[in-house]
Amino acid sequence: MTTPLIYNTVFPSLRDTDTLAEATRRMLENHVSDLPVVDGAGRLLGMFKLERLLAVLLPKAATLGDGVPDLAFMSDTIEQLRERMREIEGAAVHQFVVEPEHVLHADTSPFEAVLLLYKGANAIPVFAPDSRTLVGMVSARDVLAALQPAGAK
Amino acid sequence: MHGASGHETTVLFGLHPLWVATLLFVATYAVIMTDKLNRAIVALLGAGLLILVGVLDQKEAMGAVDWNTLGLLLGMMLIVNITRRSGLFQYVAIWSAKKVDASPWGIMLMMSIVTAVFSAFLDNVTTVLLTVPVTLLITEELKVKPYPYLFAQIFASNIGGTATLIGDPPNIMIGSATGLTFNDFAIALTPVIVVIMVATLVPLYFIWGRHLSATDENRRHVMGFNEREAITDPRLLKQSLLVIALVILGFMLQRQTGIEPATIAIFGAAVLLLLDNLGKDSETQSKNVHAALSEAEWITLMFFLGLFVLVHGIQKAGLIDLMAQGLLKATGGDFNVTALAILWASAVLSAFIDNIPFVATMIPLIKAMAPTFGGDAALLPLWWALSLGACLGGNGTLIGASANLVVAGLAERAGTGFRFLEYLKVAFPLMLISIVLSHLYLYWRFL
Repeated sequence: MTTPLIYNTVFPSLRDTDTLAEATRRMLENHVSDLPVVDGAGRLLGMFKLERLLAVLLPKAATLGDGVPDLAFMSDTIEQLRERMREIEGAAVHQFVVEPEHVLHADTSPFEAVLLLYKGANAIPVFAPDSRTLVGMVSARDVLAALQPAGAK
Repeated sequence: MHGASGHETTVLFGLHPLWVATLLFVATYAVIMTDKLNRAIVALLGAGLLILVGVLDQKEAMGAVDWNTLGLLLGMMLIVNITRRSGLFQYVAIWSAKKVDASPWGIMLMMSIVTAVFSAFLDNVTTVLLTVPVTLLITEELKVKPYPYLFAQIFASNIGGTATLIGDPPNIMIGSATGLTFNDFAIALTPVIVVIMVATLVPLYFIWGRHLSATDENRRHVMGFNEREAITDPRLLKQSLLVIALVILGFMLQRQTGIEPATIAIFGAAVLLLLDNLGKDSETQSKNVHAALSEAEWITLMFFLGLFVLVHGIQKAGLIDLMAQGLLKATGGDFNVTALAILWASAVLSAFIDNIPFVATMIPLIKAMAPTFGGDAALLPLWWALSLGACLGGNGTLIGASANLVVAGLAERAGTGFRFLEYLKVAFPLMLISIVLSHLYLYWRFL
């Protein structure tokens, strides 16, 4: 018998029409680097991940294999990086949404969640059993909280 | 099933080996051309089937593999994979862009020259994988279209690769099969390659170069690059440069020392691995060696292995002799006509099919003509014709050489489309110019 998964049912999310500016604001407010993007019915459309935003800030060539393995030779300043951010911050997040690498269901073993987090997942969407309706998110923080003795904060 | 010991023996179901080998050979090449299956899988399957049906036995198949070609390729791949970690290639690319004050045409010219020179000493695909991302970075900073630059680099990689024994796989195969040395290739081919490079850059200037422009501010961005920061491991850089210099010296002294290129390249790779791992703990050593070995292009190496077996199969079955007789009949047995026919046929065919299997087939075919033309020594112009045709022909279409497809793939990922017909319109005439120049050169110098 599996133990019900412990996940967070109160989580920040985005609509696909939200802008990058809104997405980054919500990431900062909630201290998360991955946000689920949902439609009006609460179904998961995909994930907006910080690494996609970082990739957009970089020159495209730097994201193509090993050809430009480091950019230490570039002299651009933080102001130029901000300028790049200003150029893209009005874009809708749907352009950057990716399929989640992993999903869990509400009745999945917590060991599976721990394994995926151990392998590097940041935040994993949790679906209601047999559906794509998003009911929660699980992160390493949620697991740590669940491991505390009963009554402990 | 009978063991195949000659043309008169039969193979599976009593069929004649010539028919079975030809069928397998044609089927294998046809599947390779469709690109539906990885070429290494196809070549190894074809080679395996030749043995299973009895055209060759395992001993003959292993004997057919040109270990000198495989060793040279592997050795150079290892040296490049270790060297690239030093940042050398980015350093040279950025340095050259700054040398021309980041002017758009100047950068196109310099990146073409850098690509051609790297390509003369490294595999073409490796060269474009190292230089194209830097070009994309620079063109992004300059806010100019990258297409003309990438087009020029494709041409430069295929042209530069033709200049030396180690620049392009067809030359490695020809050198290994004939005993022609690094110096033989450099002396015979480098002069015409320099001319072809210039003759390619002039039209590129008129087609694109003279229209390119960038704002002063964007040029300042590029001029602000600090190439010294691109060197990520100065110690490794010095070690790599030392080993590369010694390896090239080894190639140049091949005639005097009698040491084969594969030995030189593999030994150079081993020395560089040693230098890179001296003083490191065993876990780090394992990690470094594993990384260097796993980054070798095993698909290419296995593809070669399968091809050598396949070609030996049709050679043993008698198809190569028949093809050689057919070619001689078509050219009337005239040496000059044969040489120029090989040049043009190689160029046109290499524009559409992979030049590696083509050259693998042509090598025994040309060797089979030796009795007609007065021995092996007399065949020299035919080898240069094959090299020039097969290497330069790859420029003709987007599918003509692996480097072309790699550049197109990188460009697509960076948001620049490479269309087959758009490329063909400019590339095929330019390729024909290079073959006309090769024709004149061969006629003037060797025929």
